[in-house]
Amino acid sequence: MTEEIRITAEPIDTQRCKFVVSVPVWAGGVRRFTGADEAKGSPLAEAIFAIPGLAVSELIVSGNIITVVKQSTAPWQAAGRAVGNAIRSTVTADVPAVTAAPKPASGEGSAVTDDALYEQVAKVFDEQVNPMVARHGGRVELIDVQDAVVMLRMGGGCQGCGMADVTLRQGIEGMLAQLVPAVRGIVDITDHTSGANPYFQAAKK
Amino acid sequence: MLPTTTYRTTAFVEAARQIGVELTVASEEPSALQATSLGGLVTLPLQDPQRAATEAFLFAKKYPVAAVVGVDDDTAIVAALIAQRLGLKGNPVHAMQAARDKHQQRELLAQAGVPIPRFMLRRLDEDPAAIARSVTFPCVVKPLRLSASRGVMRADNVQGFSNAQKRLDAIVCEPEASFLIEEFIPGYEVALEGLVVNRRLHVLAIFDKPDPLDGPFFEETIYVTPSTVPAGLQSSITDCADRAVRALGITEGPVHAELRYNENGPWLIELAARPIGGRCSAVLRFGAGGLGSGAGVTLEEIILRHALGMPIPSLQRERQAAGVMMIPIPGAGTLKDVRGIAEAKAVPLIEDVQITAHPGERLIPFPEGSRYPGFIFARGETPAVVEAALRDAHRRLEFVLV
Repeated sequence: MTEEIRITAEPIDTQRCKFVVSVPVWAGGVRRFTGADEAKGSPLAEAIFAIPGLAVSELIVSGNIITVVKQSTAPWQAAGRAVGNAIRSTVTADVPAVTAAPKPASGEGSAVTDDALYEQVAKVFDEQVNPMVARHGGRVELIDVQDAVVMLRMGGGCQGCGMADVTLRQGIEGMLAQLVPAVRGIVDITDHTSGANPYFQAAKK
Repeated sequence: MLPTTTYRTTAFVEAARQIGVELTVASEEPSALQATSLGGLVTLPLQDPQRAATEAFLFAKKYPVAAVVGVDDDTAIVAALIAQRLGLKGNPVHAMQAARDKHQQRELLAQAGVPIPRFMLRRLDEDPAAIARSVTFPCVVKPLRLSASRGVMRADNVQGFSNAQKRLDAIVCEPEASFLIEEFIPGYEVALEGLVVNRRLHVLAIFDKPDPLDGPFFEETIYVTPSTVPAGLQSSITDCADRAVRALGITEGPVHAELRYNENGPWLIELAARPIGGRCSAVLRFGAGGLGSGAGVTLEEIILRHALGMPIPSLQRERQAAGVMMIPIPGAGTLKDVRGIAEAKAVPLIEDVQITAHPGERLIPFPEGSRYPGFIFARGETPAVVEAALRDAHRRLEFVLV
């Protein structure tokens, strides 16, 4: 039996777009790819990095959410179709779309640094961010830190909230810049379309 | 200034990041993280523009502000007041108030000879039968300050007028409130998106609205650009909007105008000193496919660049046709599910289908409601194929309400 795959694109800005897939893509936590070399062995990542003209620079896969970062100026509305095709063809194939990252050789600094950053960011989230967003019924979950990039997921009142980007960019990003300056970026992997109880809701005009 | 109800938060926050400017977000309710971002977040009483301007003035003493941008009808007034207090580029306050108040707007437009429907101002607690004696049918009743065509109704006779007035009274729900009664202008409707720079209107796009807006309610659906209206008529439409901009005294920033035309030429129906509503601005991009710099600049980036006096790479919209459908409210009820999204996205030329209503959200049809459940975007070689794609995609969506 072939299950119908539904893919929803959620452009974040001209460079970043989240694709929410109706079936799990990768159950092994978060996997981040920063180039075609890292993508080898994961057909989904290989296919997305190989899309002509898109200049994909980063790909993050977590559960059923795929975040793509591109350098080309092509609008997501057009680029998203090619990404959707790549997702559909690899997720429905007989081999796993994503495989686990190779274990870092002992002594490699990056993983240690990310682990240390994870601890620091988790402390900021636990002690500062979450007590504050809880006032709006929200929560922010630290998913992973890879190459000093923080991956987070918003829940409760933050999920689908009309001001989620303000919380993220004007709040969390600024806090991390002050308190954990080694953090190089933040990626929100939330499926905001599924938020059933957003704190702020938009209305036209 | 981003009210918590705006659809445009992401677009403006990302536009600011794109051009590398520091952003302070002002909203009417505090952000959960406001205490942590002293210069980046501020709460202002946007419902009280004078007080908001005073508080913004004090804020700017600690955290200097280079430009102030409102994103909707209400914050345009607050932005003008703050700009005035801080000596920044901005619109005259009276111009923004006139743009916000439909009656004041019509009085100024009429004085300036801009072609508008005949209108009268009455109170909602007056006897409808008495008012109806001086009304020519068909007419349109309108609230003075609601947006997105909420509460706007056509009446064809005395009974219809009486019903519409009572219904509007219940929607506005404000003692001694006034409302507008306007002559119904038959014709084809277009929307004009523009940027006023030093009193000069630059047309960014003219949208066709191919679905007839003849009432009884005036729910927007499809916008497609470029317009297929003949060039000469487009020029008349632009001229009409330009005269309206001057009549209201708008000197800077985005404008969104709705006009009709018929055998008597163009008629100005509404002019707002803000960009296009909802998520519709995503359909516009400027400079794309051009000669390099500025490829794919968004409307929000243009607005921020203009406010800051930064160079604007291009005001020329891309060559391709583009369109957006504000998905019609499918009925009254609580949204349980939306089916067919993947099928709708798979329609050729469809670039995105964004469902903005949340599971469990109560949908309220026009004229009482005004919140569209989502948006469909398409791009293609001609306006006709774009329109067809939008309709095709919409047919594949099924809203399950309980």
